[in-house]
Amino acid sequence: MADLEIRDLHVRIEEREILKGVDLDISRGEVHALMGPNGSGKSTLANTLLGHPSYEITEGTIVFKGEDITEAEPHERAKAGLFLAFQYPVSIPGVSVANFLRMAINAKRDEPIQVKEFRNQLQHAIELLDVDRAFTSRHLNDGFSGGEKKRAEILQMAMLAPDVAILDETDSGLDIDALRTVAEGVQKLHEEQGLGALIITHYQRILHYIKPQFVHILMDGRIVLQGGVELVERLEREGYDQIRQEVGARA
Amino acid sequence: MPEVQVKPGRHREASLYHALAGAGAGNGRTLDQLREAALKTYETSELPVWRRSGFWTTSLQSLDLEALSTQPAAAGAGIPDIVTRTLPDRPHAGRIVQSAGEVVHVELDSELAERGVILCSLQEAFQDHRELAERWYSKRLTIDRNKLEAANAAFWTGGAFLHVPKGVVVEDPFEIVYTIESPGVAQYARTLVVGGESSEFKLHEYDLAEDFSGQALHAGAFELYLQDGARCRLAQVQDWGAGEVYDASTRFVGVGRDAYCHWLPALLGGHLVRQHLELAVSEPGGDMAFRGLFFTEEHEHLDVFAVDLHETGPSGGDVHWRGAATGESRASFEGLIQIDPGAQQTHTYLQIHSMMLSPKARVDAIPSVLVSADDVSASHGGTVGELDEAAIFYMQSRGLDRPSAVRVIVEGFFEPLIAELADEPLEEIVREKIAGKLAAARHDIEAYATSR
Repeated sequence: MADLEIRDLHVRIEEREILKGVDLDISRGEVHALMGPNGSGKSTLANTLLGHPSYEITEGTIVFKGEDITEAEPHERAKAGLFLAFQYPVSIPGVSVANFLRMAINAKRDEPIQVKEFRNQLQHAIELLDVDRAFTSRHLNDGFSGGEKKRAEILQMAMLAPDVAILDETDSGLDIDALRTVAEGVQKLHEEQGLGALIITHYQRILHYIKPQFVHILMDGRIVLQGGVELVERLEREGYDQIRQEVGARA
Repeated sequence: MPEVQVKPGRHREASLYHALAGAGAGNGRTLDQLREAALKTYETSELPVWRRSGFWTTSLQSLDLEALSTQPAAAGAGIPDIVTRTLPDRPHAGRIVQSAGEVVHVELDSELAERGVILCSLQEAFQDHRELAERWYSKRLTIDRNKLEAANAAFWTGGAFLHVPKGVVVEDPFEIVYTIESPGVAQYARTLVVGGESSEFKLHEYDLAEDFSGQALHAGAFELYLQDGARCRLAQVQDWGAGEVYDASTRFVGVGRDAYCHWLPALLGGHLVRQHLELAVSEPGGDMAFRGLFFTEEHEHLDVFAVDLHETGPSGGDVHWRGAATGESRASFEGLIQIDPGAQQTHTYLQIHSMMLSPKARVDAIPSVLVSADDVSASHGGTVGELDEAAIFYMQSRGLDRPSAVRVIVEGFFEPLIAELADEPLEEIVREKIAGKLAAARHDIEAYATSR
């Protein structure tokens, strides 16, 4: 049994069906890539997995570590060990990165984290993400550049140590250096902590740094093709249109 | 100097919101004469109504003034419980506490007393430091704009007087406390503070009441004058509790030549509160930072008129207020930048940000500018917001439950100002009070979110 089991997931937003029956299994230690053209439902899946209130699940289930979380509150999913790195992280003025991290960590614990332990974890994470200490005293995402926002997402991921993380187009809008740092960070967390990851992306370039074991192609609300890393290469050669024609012909 | 004509229509005849902007009632009159003149106004005027046409009306006519008395505190009452419960246990330069109509506690660091610092009741100041008190008393405050202002000038007892002489620098704050512990009290609070040349000090005022049921009144008059080169950080924590406390107060801060004042009132509760707050740069080179925060809940009504007055230039100003409202409360803020003729080379900015946390709460904010000089810069800005659902989901996805996420947002909203208090014990009080109000409004905030 996989840690995260998505079964026949149908999702609607404002009367429009976006996901039309998605099945997906993800476990700790696995790296999955979910690829698809714009509008295929990638971000809908990401937001639905964390319980965004605007997305309505009309059919199907989400089970995480044996618990049905289809109806669970977002913070309960987070506490259970799910994480979402947002495509567009919002700014939280007045709250420093460090303070926010401490709150988030404490939300998962019975006893508040010791100062020293927190400091050590933070030090480890900032080295991993190649940011300086001053970064953690800035207000979260407030006035951050695109690259800084994505680093802050991965920094939070490193500190919160989820079992399964969903990275929603973490690569978009990043220059090559930022992309490398972010991708290497994810790769290390995968190696060190056994992080399971669902990397959602429109492009292929992040997958040059993180090699997925499983690749899924989402089109029009359904996973139309699944395979290994060879699928990424094929996509790079052929593009979404050709795949669309092929699966269209098959259907 | 050419006088710049103010365009017609910028005068606000329709409104009762005017800066004091001028000489006060003092100026050569004795205390007895002032009391007598004020009494006449008191007897011939009605309880005040402030109307900002098209926006709000603040009426004190539901106050049963006849039923209230200026009773002194019970004999030997000592420091009221609420003071012990609320004020931080921290080093302070001095403290004066007035309960209802009587000063019940005065303490002053003995070394500071030796250096000439005076902290005593205003009544005592008129006996022991008559010349000083008479010189400054009601220098800029009026006594006849409304019945309650007149009542204060006619009937005040106790009161607080602080004088920090020339060149004296005090690290720890002076604390002035007004408390109302039972209903039926009319508290006419009168504070006079003078900062001598190049003095530096901090002043914290606390306005506190127990949670009783029934009416009470605090009609306050506060004046602070900073002489050349003096620097003061002035903060006020006001929380009148759950009782039906009316507060109609006028506060004036005058900034002298090259002097500086950082003023931050935290208005955190009261049944019906009307504050006229005026920070005036009266001499060249004066500078000020005028901050403020407010939080209204349940059926509270708050009306703040904040004036950033520049009487001479060059001068600097920076006004920044933030407020939130829950329940069915009503908060009205009018911020006025007034630059008088001759206040050339004044640069000032006013911003007001507000957040409505429930569907029935309402915050109005009106910035206005009256400029009568041509070589100046004055501008204003502001935002009116609601809770950002995207930010809440973001924090929930990190494990914070919804109420915690709301708290983070609201605290973050106020944090830039709270941090400016630059005084940890005071910051903690304000943070705790805001957290308490949010916890109390939790269901209300929740209902608002699901209704949208």
